Amino acid sequence: MTDPQSISDLIERALTGYEALTALGEDIEDEWSYVNDLSAAWTDRLTAVAAARSATAASPAEIVAVDRALAEIDAITDPHRAIDWLSTFPQVVLVALREAS
Amino acid sequence: MRFQDAARDGRAVVYAGIQAEPVVARAASLLADAGPAQRVLARAVMNGESTDPAGWMAMFPTLFGADVAAGPERARSEAILATSLEVADRGEQVRSSVRGAIVEALTAVLLERRVGTAAVRRERRILFDGVRAEIHPYDVTVERDGAAEAYDCKWGARGINPDVLHQLDDARGHAAEEDETLRVALVIFDAERSCRVRMERQTAPTAGTGLIALETLDRLASG
Repeated sequence: MTDPQSISDLIERALTGYEALTALGEDIEDEWSYVNDLSAAWTDRLTAVAAARSATAASPAEIVAVDRALAEIDAITDPHRAIDWLSTFPQVVLVALREAS
Repeated sequence: MRFQDAARDGRAVVYAGIQAEPVVARAASLLADAGPAQRVLARAVMNGESTDPAGWMAMFPTLFGADVAAGPERARSEAILATSLEVADRGEQVRSSVRGAIVEALTAVLLERRVGTAAVRRERRILFDGVRAEIHPYDVTVERDGAAEAYDCKWGARGINPDVLHQLDDARGHAAEEDETLRVALVIFDAERSCRVRMERQTAPTAGTGLIALETLDRLASG
Protein backbone atom coordinates (compact mmCIF):
# COMPACT_ATOMS: atom_id res chain seq x y z
CA MET A 1 0.00 0.00 0.00
CA THR A 2 1.41 3.39 -0.98
CA ASP A 3 1.39 6.46 1.23
CA PRO A 4 -1.38 8.95 0.46
CA GLN A 5 -0.26 11.79 -1.72
CA SER A 6 0.12 15.06 0.18
CA ILE A 7 -0.97 18.49 -1.02
CA SER A 8 2.73 19.29 -1.18
CA ASP A 9 3.39 16.33 -3.50
CA LEU A 10 0.44 17.32 -5.66
CA ILE A 11 1.67 20.88 -6.02
CA GLU A 12 5.17 19.64 -6.80
CA ARG A 13 3.70 17.67 -9.73
CA ALA A 14 1.67 20.70 -10.79
CA LEU A 15 4.81 22.84 -10.78
CA THR A 16 6.64 20.35 -13.00
CA GLY A 17 3.93 20.76 -15.63
CA TYR A 18 3.97 24.50 -15.06
CA GLU A 19 7.69 24.63 -15.87
CA ALA A 20 7.02 23.06 -19.25
CA LEU A 21 4.23 25.56 -19.88
CA THR A 22 6.62 28.39 -19.00
CA ALA A 23 9.17 27.06 -21.47
CA LEU A 24 6.50 27.06 -24.21
CA GLY A 25 5.46 30.63 -23.37
CA GLU A 26 9.09 31.74 -23.65
CA ASP A 27 8.84 31.10 -27.39
CA ILE A 28 7.22 34.53 -27.63
CA GLU A 29 10.45 36.50 -27.40
CA ASP A 30 8.79 39.88 -26.77
CA GLU A 31 7.11 38.44 -23.70
CA TRP A 32 10.08 36.52 -22.31
CA SER A 33 10.50 38.68 -19.22
CA TYR A 34 6.78 38.86 -18.54
CA VAL A 35 6.46 35.10 -18.92
CA ASN A 36 9.20 34.52 -16.38
CA ASP A 37 7.96 37.15 -13.94
CA LEU A 38 4.45 35.72 -14.16
CA SER A 39 5.69 32.18 -13.72
CA ALA A 40 7.80 33.17 -10.73
CA ALA A 41 4.90 34.99 -9.05
CA TRP A 42 2.57 32.00 -9.33
CA THR A 43 5.28 29.48 -8.45
CA ASP A 44 5.87 31.44 -5.24
CA ARG A 45 2.15 31.31 -4.43
CA LEU A 46 1.85 27.58 -5.09
CA THR A 47 5.04 26.87 -3.16
CA ALA A 48 3.66 28.78 -0.19
CA VAL A 49 0.51 26.65 -0.23
CA ALA A 50 2.61 23.49 -0.49
CA ALA A 51 4.66 24.53 2.54
CA ALA A 52 1.58 25.41 4.57
CA ARG A 53 -0.17 22.13 3.79
CA SER A 54 2.75 19.72 3.53
CA ALA A 55 1.21 17.39 6.10
CA THR A 56 -2.25 17.38 4.53
CA ALA A 57 -3.27 14.43 2.39
CA ALA A 58 -4.78 15.34 -0.97
CA SER A 59 -8.27 14.01 -1.54
CA PRO A 60 -9.00 11.80 -4.56
CA ALA A 61 -11.04 14.64 -6.08
CA GLU A 62 -8.14 17.08 -5.66
CA ILE A 63 -5.74 14.63 -7.30
CA VAL A 64 -8.09 14.10 -10.24
CA ALA A 65 -8.61 17.86 -10.58
CA VAL A 66 -4.90 18.62 -10.77
CA ASP A 67 -4.33 15.71 -13.14
CA ARG A 68 -7.04 17.08 -15.45
CA ALA A 69 -5.52 20.55 -15.27
CA LEU A 70 -2.10 19.09 -16.10
CA ALA A 71 -3.61 17.23 -19.07
CA GLU A 72 -5.15 20.49 -20.26
CA ILE A 73 -1.85 22.38 -20.28
CA ASP A 74 -0.05 19.38 -21.74
CA ALA A 75 -2.35 19.65 -24.79
CA ILE A 76 -1.30 23.25 -25.46
CA THR A 77 1.03 23.78 -28.41
CA ASP A 78 0.45 27.48 -29.10
CA PRO A 79 2.82 29.68 -27.06
CA HIS A 80 0.25 32.50 -26.91
CA ARG A 81 -2.25 30.16 -25.32
CA ALA A 82 0.52 28.94 -23.03
CA ILE A 83 0.88 32.51 -21.72
CA ASP A 84 -2.88 32.64 -21.06
CA TRP A 85 -2.56 29.42 -19.09
CA LEU A 86 0.45 30.60 -17.11
CA SER A 87 -2.13 32.71 -15.30
CA THR A 88 -5.10 30.33 -15.58
CA PHE A 89 -3.49 27.05 -14.50
CA PRO A 90 -2.43 28.20 -11.00
CA GLN A 91 -5.88 29.67 -10.44
CA VAL A 92 -7.49 26.35 -11.37
CA VAL A 93 -5.15 24.45 -9.02
CA LEU A 94 -5.81 26.87 -6.17
CA VAL A 95 -9.58 26.67 -6.66
CA ALA A 96 -9.37 22.86 -6.57
CA LEU A 97 -7.45 23.09 -3.28
CA ARG A 98 -9.87 25.71 -1.86
CA GLU A 99 -7.09 28.28 -1.69
CA ALA A 100 -7.28 31.95 -2.63
CA SER A 101 -5.40 33.26 -5.64
CA MET B 1 -15.60 67.15 -20.90
CA ARG B 2 -18.27 65.53 -23.03
CA PHE B 3 -19.08 62.07 -24.33
CA GLN B 4 -19.77 61.06 -27.91
CA ASP B 5 -20.64 57.85 -29.76
CA ALA B 6 -17.67 56.26 -31.50
CA ALA B 7 -17.49 56.43 -35.27
CA ARG B 8 -19.28 53.54 -36.99
CA ASP B 9 -16.34 52.33 -39.02
CA GLY B 10 -15.99 48.80 -40.38
CA ARG B 11 -14.37 47.46 -37.24
CA ALA B 12 -17.13 48.92 -35.09
CA VAL B 13 -19.86 47.39 -37.23
CA VAL B 14 -18.27 43.93 -37.10
CA TYR B 15 -17.67 44.18 -33.37
CA ALA B 16 -21.22 45.36 -32.74
CA GLY B 17 -22.35 42.09 -34.29
CA ILE B 18 -20.19 40.18 -31.82
CA GLN B 19 -21.49 42.24 -28.91
CA ALA B 20 -25.07 41.48 -29.95
CA GLU B 21 -24.60 37.71 -29.95
CA PRO B 22 -26.99 36.16 -27.38
CA VAL B 23 -24.18 34.15 -25.80
CA VAL B 24 -22.47 37.40 -24.76
CA ALA B 25 -25.43 38.69 -22.76
CA ARG B 26 -26.10 35.24 -21.32
CA ALA B 27 -22.51 34.86 -20.14
CA ALA B 28 -22.45 38.36 -18.68
CA SER B 29 -25.66 37.75 -16.76
CA LEU B 30 -24.38 34.46 -15.33
CA LEU B 31 -20.96 35.86 -14.42
CA ALA B 32 -22.43 38.93 -12.75
CA ASP B 33 -23.89 36.69 -10.05
CA ALA B 34 -21.01 34.19 -10.02
CA GLY B 35 -18.52 33.58 -7.26
CA PRO B 36 -14.74 33.67 -7.74
CA ALA B 37 -14.42 29.93 -8.46
CA GLN B 38 -17.20 30.08 -11.05
CA ARG B 39 -15.44 32.98 -12.74
CA VAL B 40 -12.18 31.02 -12.83
CA LEU B 41 -14.14 28.15 -14.40
CA ALA B 42 -15.38 30.46 -17.15
CA ARG B 43 -11.89 31.80 -17.77
CA ALA B 44 -10.38 28.32 -17.93
CA VAL B 45 -13.01 26.83 -20.24
CA MET B 46 -13.06 29.80 -22.60
CA ASN B 47 -9.23 29.62 -22.73
CA GLY B 48 -9.17 25.87 -22.96
CA GLU B 49 -8.36 23.21 -25.52
CA SER B 50 -10.81 20.57 -24.31
CA THR B 51 -14.53 20.75 -24.96
CA ASP B 52 -15.42 17.70 -22.85
CA PRO B 53 -17.76 18.82 -20.04
CA ALA B 54 -16.90 15.85 -17.82
CA GLY B 55 -13.23 16.78 -17.85
CA TRP B 56 -13.95 20.33 -16.75
CA MET B 57 -16.31 19.12 -14.03
CA ALA B 58 -13.54 16.89 -12.69
CA MET B 59 -11.15 19.84 -12.76
CA PHE B 60 -13.48 21.87 -10.50
CA PRO B 61 -14.49 19.56 -7.63
CA THR B 62 -15.47 22.51 -5.44
CA LEU B 63 -18.20 23.34 -7.99
CA PHE B 64 -19.20 19.90 -9.30
CA GLY B 65 -17.99 17.38 -6.72
CA ALA B 66 -20.22 14.72 -5.20
CA ASP B 67 -20.48 16.81 -2.04
CA VAL B 68 -21.89 19.82 -3.91
CA ALA B 69 -25.64 19.61 -3.51
CA ALA B 70 -28.11 20.33 -6.26
CA GLY B 71 -29.40 23.88 -6.01
CA PRO B 72 -29.00 27.36 -7.45
CA GLU B 73 -25.19 27.49 -7.09
CA ARG B 74 -24.61 24.17 -8.79
CA ALA B 75 -27.12 25.10 -11.49
CA ARG B 76 -25.22 28.35 -12.06
CA SER B 77 -21.94 26.45 -12.33
CA GLU B 78 -23.49 24.10 -14.87
CA ALA B 79 -24.89 27.02 -16.88
CA ILE B 80 -21.52 28.80 -16.81
CA LEU B 81 -19.80 25.64 -18.01
CA ALA B 82 -22.30 25.14 -20.86
CA THR B 83 -22.07 28.79 -21.93
CA SER B 84 -18.28 28.81 -21.73
CA LEU B 85 -18.06 25.66 -23.84
CA GLU B 86 -20.27 27.34 -26.41
CA VAL B 87 -17.69 30.14 -26.62
CA ALA B 88 -14.75 27.72 -26.62
CA ASP B 89 -16.25 25.87 -29.56
CA ARG B 90 -15.75 28.88 -31.81
CA GLY B 91 -12.69 29.51 -33.95
CA GLU B 92 -9.79 31.17 -32.21
CA GLN B 93 -10.32 34.66 -33.64
CA VAL B 94 -14.07 34.73 -32.97
CA ARG B 95 -13.54 33.24 -29.53
CA SER B 96 -11.15 36.04 -28.69
CA SER B 97 -13.63 38.71 -29.79
CA VAL B 98 -16.50 37.07 -27.92
CA ARG B 99 -14.44 36.85 -24.72
CA GLY B 100 -13.65 40.55 -24.94
CA ALA B 101 -17.29 41.40 -25.53
CA ILE B 102 -18.28 39.30 -22.50
CA VAL B 103 -15.94 41.25 -20.21
CA GLU B 104 -17.41 44.51 -21.48
CA ALA B 105 -20.99 43.30 -21.07
CA LEU B 106 -20.24 41.98 -17.59
CA THR B 107 -18.71 45.32 -16.63
CA ALA B 108 -21.81 47.12 -17.87
CA VAL B 109 -24.17 44.79 -15.99
CA LEU B 110 -22.30 45.26 -12.71
CA LEU B 111 -22.05 49.03 -13.11
CA GLU B 112 -25.78 49.26 -13.86
CA ARG B 113 -26.48 47.74 -10.46
CA ARG B 114 -24.76 50.73 -8.86
CA VAL B 115 -25.62 53.67 -11.10
CA GLY B 116 -28.67 52.54 -13.09
CA THR B 117 -29.02 51.59 -16.72
CA ALA B 118 -29.30 55.09 -18.17
CA ALA B 119 -25.86 56.23 -16.99
CA VAL B 120 -23.93 53.27 -18.43
CA ARG B 121 -22.86 53.55 -22.06
CA ARG B 122 -20.68 51.51 -24.41
CA GLU B 123 -18.10 52.41 -27.06
CA ARG B 124 -17.95 56.12 -26.27
CA ARG B 125 -15.28 58.72 -26.87
CA ILE B 126 -14.50 61.42 -24.35
CA LEU B 127 -13.83 64.88 -25.75
CA PHE B 128 -11.96 67.71 -24.04
CA ASP B 129 -11.60 71.31 -25.18
CA GLY B 130 -8.45 71.85 -27.21
CA VAL B 131 -7.41 68.18 -27.08
CA ARG B 132 -7.37 65.92 -30.10
CA ALA B 133 -9.87 63.10 -29.57
CA GLU B 134 -8.56 59.60 -29.06
CA ILE B 135 -9.28 57.26 -31.96
CA HIS B 136 -10.24 54.32 -29.79
CA PRO B 137 -13.43 54.61 -27.76
CA TYR B 138 -13.70 53.59 -24.14
CA ASP B 139 -15.34 50.21 -23.70
CA VAL B 140 -17.73 51.25 -20.95
CA THR B 141 -18.45 54.67 -19.48
CA VAL B 142 -20.56 55.96 -16.63
CA GLU B 143 -21.92 59.33 -17.64
CA ARG B 144 -23.08 61.33 -14.63
CA ASP B 145 -22.49 64.98 -13.72
CA GLY B 146 -19.58 65.20 -11.32
CA ALA B 147 -19.03 61.45 -11.12
CA ALA B 148 -18.06 60.16 -14.53
CA GLU B 149 -16.15 56.92 -15.02
CA ALA B 150 -14.34 55.28 -17.93
CA TYR B 151 -13.33 51.65 -18.19
CA ASP B 152 -11.19 49.65 -20.56
CA CYS B 153 -11.92 45.94 -20.43
CA LYS B 154 -9.55 43.07 -21.20
CA TRP B 155 -9.86 39.33 -21.07
CA GLY B 156 -6.37 38.76 -19.68
CA ALA B 157 -3.53 40.53 -17.94
CA ARG B 158 -1.50 40.41 -21.12
CA GLY B 159 -3.93 42.93 -22.59
CA ILE B 160 -2.54 45.62 -20.28
CA ASN B 161 -0.29 47.74 -22.48
CA PRO B 162 1.14 51.27 -22.68
CA ASP B 163 -1.49 52.52 -25.13
CA VAL B 164 -4.43 51.73 -22.90
CA LEU B 165 -2.69 53.01 -19.77
CA HIS B 166 -1.78 56.29 -21.46
CA GLN B 167 -5.28 56.73 -22.85
CA LEU B 168 -6.92 56.25 -19.46
CA ASP B 169 -4.42 58.43 -17.63
CA ASP B 170 -4.59 61.17 -20.25
CA ALA B 171 -8.39 61.25 -19.99
CA ARG B 172 -8.22 61.51 -16.20
CA GLY B 173 -5.67 64.31 -16.46
CA HIS B 174 -7.61 66.27 -19.08
CA ALA B 175 -10.75 65.97 -16.98
CA ALA B 176 -8.90 67.37 -13.99
CA GLU B 177 -7.71 70.29 -16.10
CA GLU B 178 -11.38 71.07 -16.73
CA ASP B 179 -12.17 70.68 -13.01
CA GLU B 180 -14.13 67.53 -13.78
CA THR B 181 -13.89 64.23 -11.98
CA LEU B 182 -13.29 61.19 -14.17
CA ARG B 183 -12.53 57.90 -12.49
CA VAL B 184 -10.61 55.59 -14.81
CA ALA B 185 -9.92 51.88 -14.41
CA LEU B 186 -8.98 48.69 -16.15
CA VAL B 187 -11.33 45.73 -15.83
CA ILE B 188 -9.36 42.54 -16.37
CA PHE B 189 -10.98 39.10 -16.32
CA ASP B 190 -7.82 37.61 -14.85
CA ALA B 191 -6.26 37.18 -11.42
CA GLU B 192 -5.04 40.31 -9.68
CA ARG B 193 -1.64 38.68 -9.15
CA SER B 194 -1.16 38.36 -12.92
CA CYS B 195 -2.37 41.91 -13.50
CA ARG B 196 0.08 43.31 -10.92
CA VAL B 197 2.97 41.45 -12.57
CA ARG B 198 1.97 42.94 -15.91
CA MET B 199 1.51 46.45 -14.55
CA GLU B 200 4.86 46.44 -12.74
CA ARG B 201 6.55 46.04 -16.10
CA GLN B 202 4.87 49.10 -17.60
CA THR B 203 6.56 52.48 -17.85
CA ALA B 204 3.26 54.19 -18.66
CA PRO B 205 1.55 55.90 -15.71
CA THR B 206 -0.52 53.57 -13.54
CA ALA B 207 -0.93 55.45 -10.25
CA GLY B 208 -4.19 57.15 -11.19
CA THR B 209 -5.74 54.15 -12.88
CA GLY B 210 -7.79 51.67 -10.91
CA LEU B 211 -7.60 47.93 -11.38
CA ILE B 212 -10.62 45.66 -11.18
CA ALA B 213 -9.52 42.04 -11.44
CA LEU B 214 -11.35 38.71 -11.43
CA GLU B 215 -11.47 38.61 -7.64
CA THR B 216 -12.74 42.17 -7.27
CA LEU B 217 -15.31 42.48 -10.06
CA ASP B 218 -18.13 42.98 -7.59
CA ARG B 219 -16.62 46.35 -6.65
CA LEU B 220 -18.08 47.64 -9.91
CA ALA B 221 -21.52 47.11 -8.43
CA SER B 222 -20.75 48.31 -4.94
CA GLY B 223 -18.49 51.26 -5.74
